[in-house]
Amino acid sequence: MASTACFVIVSKNDIPIYDAEVGSAPKKEDQAYQHQFILHAALDVVQDLAWTTNAMSLKSVDRFNELVVSVYVTAGHTRFMLLHDTRTEDGIKSFFQEVHELYIKIFLNPLYLPGSRITSSHFDTKVRALARKYL
Amino acid sequence: MDPLRSYLGRLLLEDITPVVMVLTTPLAEAACRRSGLSFVDMLSPFSLFKKIDVPVRTASDQPYRLQMFKIRMVYASDIHKQDHEVADERIKLVVSEANEKTLPDLLADPPQLEDVVNKPEAELCPLWTKRFNRELIRTLSFSDHETFDHPVACLLVVSSKDKEPISKFADLFNTNQLPSLLNEGIMDPQILKHYLVLHDQQDGPQEIAVNILAEMRSTLGLNDCKLLCINSSAQAHGSDADNSWLPYKAHGLHNHEGACFLNTDDLNEIKDFMQDFASNHIIPYMEQKIRVLNQQVATTRKGFRNQIKNLWWRKRDDVPEAANGPMYTFTSIESQIRVLGDYAFMLRDYELALSNYRLLSTDYKLDKAWKRFAGVQEMSGLCYFMLDQSRKDAEYCMENAFSTYLRIGSSGQRNATRCGLWWAEMLTTRGQHREASSVYFRISNEEPSLHSAVLLEQAACCYLLSSPRMLRKYGFHLILAGNSYYLSDQKQHAVRAYRNALFVYKQNPWSYINNHVHYNVGRWYGVLGIFDVAIKHLLEVVACSHQSLTTQSMFLNDFFHFVQSTGKKFDVYKLQLPVFNMSSLRVVHEDHRTYASNADVDVSESIWQELEEEMIPSSSVVRTNWLDTQPKSSPFKNNKASVCVAGEAVKLNVEVKNPLQISVNVSGISLICQLSTTMDASSAEKGTLSAATEEDIATTKPSILTFKSDENNFTVSSLDIVLGGGETKRIQLEVTPKVIGILKLVGIRWTLSDSVVGYQYFEVSTQKKTKKGKRGAHRSLNNILIVIKALPKLTGYIDCLPTKAFTGDLQLLTLNLRNQSEHAVKNVKMKISHPRFVIPGGSSDLDLEFPQCLRKHVQSDSNVVSSKSTKEKFKGFLFAFPQDIKIQGGATFSWPIWFHAATPGNLSLYLSLYYEMESTTDIPYRTLRTHYNVEVLPSLDVSFAVSMCSSRLQEYIVRMDIMNRTLSESFALHQLSCVGTKWAVSTLPSCDSISLVETIPANQSVSCFFKIKDIGTNSCAEAADGSCGSDMVLSPGGSTDVFHISQSPIADFHYQERYHQGKLAKGPSSLLDFILIAKAVAANSSKSEQLLSHHTCQVALSQNPIWWLMEGPRTITHDFSKSCCEANIQLVIHNSSEHNISLGVVTSDGTLEKNQTIPSHESASGPGGWYDVSLENDVKAITSMKGTHPQKQSSESISPFVWCSLSSAQVDLKPNSSAKIPLKVCIFAPGTYNFSNYELHWKVHPSEAGQVDDNGRSGVGQGYPFYVTVLQGAR
Repeated sequence: MASTACFVIVSKNDIPIYDAEVGSAPKKEDQAYQHQFILHAALDVVQDLAWTTNAMSLKSVDRFNELVVSVYVTAGHTRFMLLHDTRTEDGIKSFFQEVHELYIKIFLNPLYLPGSRITSSHFDTKVRALARKYL
Repeated sequence: MDPLRSYLGRLLLEDITPVVMVLTTPLAEAACRRSGLSFVDMLSPFSLFKKIDVPVRTASDQPYRLQMFKIRMVYASDIHKQDHEVADERIKLVVSEANEKTLPDLLADPPQLEDVVNKPEAELCPLWTKRFNRELIRTLSFSDHETFDHPVACLLVVSSKDKEPISKFADLFNTNQLPSLLNEGIMDPQILKHYLVLHDQQDGPQEIAVNILAEMRSTLGLNDCKLLCINSSAQAHGSDADNSWLPYKAHGLHNHEGACFLNTDDLNEIKDFMQDFASNHIIPYMEQKIRVLNQQVATTRKGFRNQIKNLWWRKRDDVPEAANGPMYTFTSIESQIRVLGDYAFMLRDYELALSNYRLLSTDYKLDKAWKRFAGVQEMSGLCYFMLDQSRKDAEYCMENAFSTYLRIGSSGQRNATRCGLWWAEMLTTRGQHREASSVYFRISNEEPSLHSAVLLEQAACCYLLSSPRMLRKYGFHLILAGNSYYLSDQKQHAVRAYRNALFVYKQNPWSYINNHVHYNVGRWYGVLGIFDVAIKHLLEVVACSHQSLTTQSMFLNDFFHFVQSTGKKFDVYKLQLPVFNMSSLRVVHEDHRTYASNADVDVSESIWQELEEEMIPSSSVVRTNWLDTQPKSSPFKNNKASVCVAGEAVKLNVEVKNPLQISVNVSGISLICQLSTTMDASSAEKGTLSAATEEDIATTKPSILTFKSDENNFTVSSLDIVLGGGETKRIQLEVTPKVIGILKLVGIRWTLSDSVVGYQYFEVSTQKKTKKGKRGAHRSLNNILIVIKALPKLTGYIDCLPTKAFTGDLQLLTLNLRNQSEHAVKNVKMKISHPRFVIPGGSSDLDLEFPQCLRKHVQSDSNVVSSKSTKEKFKGFLFAFPQDIKIQGGATFSWPIWFHAATPGNLSLYLSLYYEMESTTDIPYRTLRTHYNVEVLPSLDVSFAVSMCSSRLQEYIVRMDIMNRTLSESFALHQLSCVGTKWAVSTLPSCDSISLVETIPANQSVSCFFKIKDIGTNSCAEAADGSCGSDMVLSPGGSTDVFHISQSPIADFHYQERYHQGKLAKGPSSLLDFILIAKAVAANSSKSEQLLSHHTCQVALSQNPIWWLMEGPRTITHDFSKSCCEANIQLVIHNSSEHNISLGVVTSDGTLEKNQTIPSHESASGPGGWYDVSLENDVKAITSMKGTHPQKQSSESISPFVWCSLSSAQVDLKPNSSAKIPLKVCIFAPGTYNFSNYELHWKVHPSEAGQVDDNGRSGVGQGYPFYVTVLQGAR
């Protein structure tokens, strides 16, 4: 499992609708904003890159020092962004795919307003379990 | 773009130029000092030749012309490797200088996206960053692995005052004083020497100098000696001198000391000297050197043979692995190639330079001299750039150089930076901004924080320039830069960087980013002492609910710290701490409707309106159609405005939430109000319109001071609360207008922790909102109130109304009213939503002692409750107080109220009190609304079963089932009464021990049997002696303790019960009401006696209009041997109805096949004395009691007796008359017989007067069991 991993789902309006620190390293207060900064800045790169490929998984799009940003773009242009420090391409890909399935389930919920924050605790636990499994 | 015209091109043309080493004598320096300049300073403006236009021929035969040329004049003492600390100091100075310029900028608004986008490209990044970059590059001058900083020529200067100037020249070029580069053999000490005699005109005539020059020429060489005369101006500050210097000021020539003796002639002379020096000496020398070196290189290195030889030679050599590679002296071929390359570069023969650099790079690579290799790579990269060839190669070279520098560790770090700067510039020139920014970012990692900050800022600018614009990257890198600035103690720059990034993160939903940016900007502004801006930014973060406790408190502490630093109370519009939930806002104003407590306000208006419907007078103005919604006669022209009364508080309920985990102290929460005394509705209307722009006003200028509480017109309440972490409280604010006019509720203000004043205006409901629908209209905030003249107002409450009571609980309470005003009120009326529970008493009840007042003191002969009740009485009880009651101003008034907990459950009791004003006022009447919640717990369940007594006429057996539903309470039965004079209740003759069941413990049930007798029609003797009355005392206390059930309030409550229970039971007319009075057995005697009355109404009696009874001997002795026995019995029939009845008795022999159907017949004929079905489960015995008479005789096929004498008899009975029908039965064997197999068929013939309901018109009665025992008699 990666020591640092920050997972964020960004809606198509560039609003984070879900975020979780899924790394094994203890969470530090000052890192939370740093991770957000890196991921937020990486959106610029994703914006360009997303239209150059048919694949949903953009692999690693950006890096900041030793931290790498991997991105997965859904058909609705919702972006799953993972900031991590280890390179397990396959694991990240599987992680994204499974999270995508979970996300679709959330999306199918008629009470969920697309683009609003995901508050489901079930989703949260599932994502964290996936992170432990793949990252 | 022409590379020479690009920034990098110009940079290279200016920086990579021939260096002239200057050696001066102290006297020569002193002569220059007189004009406030050093010798180098004096010459340097003239060392740049914009149009030198000299032909140059290097290795090739084709000459070309140089246009721009520059030589660098450097003192010999400065030619050494830079000390890092000194260099860093100098760079720091550049940054700090810029620091001061940024300060006014910081006070302005932060730039917006449009500002940044519209800026010219060059201004995006502060101009001083270019200077910074050059300074950074200059820290590497005179390194030993590069030769372009090595002096090309040497200028030796002697003053005309020096003694023995010729020997001075020799002294000057003394090796001891020369730079280490020359001494250590890194460069060739045999360089071009040029000799100059400096003559100060003020020291004397020029002849001395001319003589010296002549001497020099003879000894040192004809061409290499020059004379320069300065300070020809007689007095300082010659007017022309100032002008003549002007063009050169830009070159960093600042004459600080003021005195300047140089005149135009001097300057022209200097200029001519420099021109001559450059074009006639330096350039030819370099040309020649290039040609010589090229020749040398060609012979040793060019050609196939030389290459093989070179490879072989290098391979054989065991090169030690060292960071700097082997030492190369100026004589080594590598150094010579490098010099050749650099000279060619300086003379802009880039092709030649490149070929030499390429040649050299392979050598250095083989030698593993990495630093030199990187340097050569770097230069070849620049050559590619200047030639504008193969971008790929240029980049490859730069990258190669960059990574090689990085690889060799700390010694190559700064070189890497320089390489990176060039590389980034190169990429920028070609428009590859993204790559450039990543290069900047890479080199920023290698530099100390201050340098990296500037580099990061440049990286950020590159992102902005890139296409498409990468604003987020721009913001991020600016933030990084700001952070680095902060670390290196450059707070102004830090703030500037963050400020520039602000627009990127404006309205940003990424919460942590937002908090970080605003918090840091705020904090740094605070440190800089610009508190207002600091607070503005910190306000953005004080209400961050998602942060941890420590962060929240850190934010809050800093915020308060800066607020306190300002030394004054700070007004903040829409302060987010605490959060006022504006949707929860509710204005409570009392016009004609007044409320007893706050809880009453929350009751829906429709409930009140329904309750008060009959009580309040209908609106005097009849609206003819919907257009006429605003009656013209109404004093309130503004339909929307509400009315409130002067002197009475208008309340405002609002929810306050603390978003933080820290508890905050909020004090002085009060309303901001405006009261205009002009009674003009249109002005209020205007107020509404202007309120739309109110927010703008509030943001532009804090207009809070204009809304200061006006003590003359109104008073506002002030509330202090402490909100715990995450707590939500509902608060009530009040404003009491004192004069009439129009009161406008503008907003709320509050003080946070005694230092920050927050205020917020109400969003005024616009017309649009109300149009959305009824709901919207209901929720819209009514913030404009018309204040009318003071009115009388009653306040009131019911004293000690229980919130919990047991079913049946009967209590006497008091309604206390108080008139707080000066004027009297009259015509008081009251309406109660549940008269079943609460009934107002009479005026005499007030001083009664409960429950003694209910006791029957005098034996009353009448249990009849007056039947004055009307239908209206039951649905919403309207009670008018006696007309003479007026409540004077300041007076209190009490009125008795009876409370009876009728049914279990939760009850919302609404009470509305209506009163009229004594004097004429704007509002003719007012209502006081009170609302109570009572929880009624179940206590005793009582049910009755009545069945006809088969043995007596006019009597019934009553079975009373009582179940105690409570968990812990015990109840003592006190009294059972049946309502009305018609019935008398008594114990069964056989069991007098009814007192055994006087108390019923919790969860137990008891059944009792009684007898009731109809005494109304048949005034029997028993009734007269009083032993059998309508009341029966169940407790041992005796008949003195009987409660009077025919008086108020029990009678009143009984009517209510009858009304409500009557709805449930749809029985025939002949019904019976019971009242059971019980007392709670109090655990401690201190409690006052609690009385419970249970009303069971309309218990149905058997409705038959006739009674019948068998009479006859019960035991017959007969000798069956003689004959069959004949028994004479008679049937006594009584007609209790008021009509004629014709009646027939039908006897049937044998077993009746009807037996099976009888129960169903009976149940179908109507309620058999039961109406409360619910108890059936509890009392199992009930079902078994039903239909006792059908005897199971099916086993016998033949009946042992037969009826004789008649099989059917017809009798006509007059009202209230009896008849006897003789019957005879023939019995054939001894035994016990039940003569019940007969039926009575009757038919009612209604008289003209009365009506009989259909059910009782005709009927069939089954015979009662009548047992006769026949014995075999003795012979």
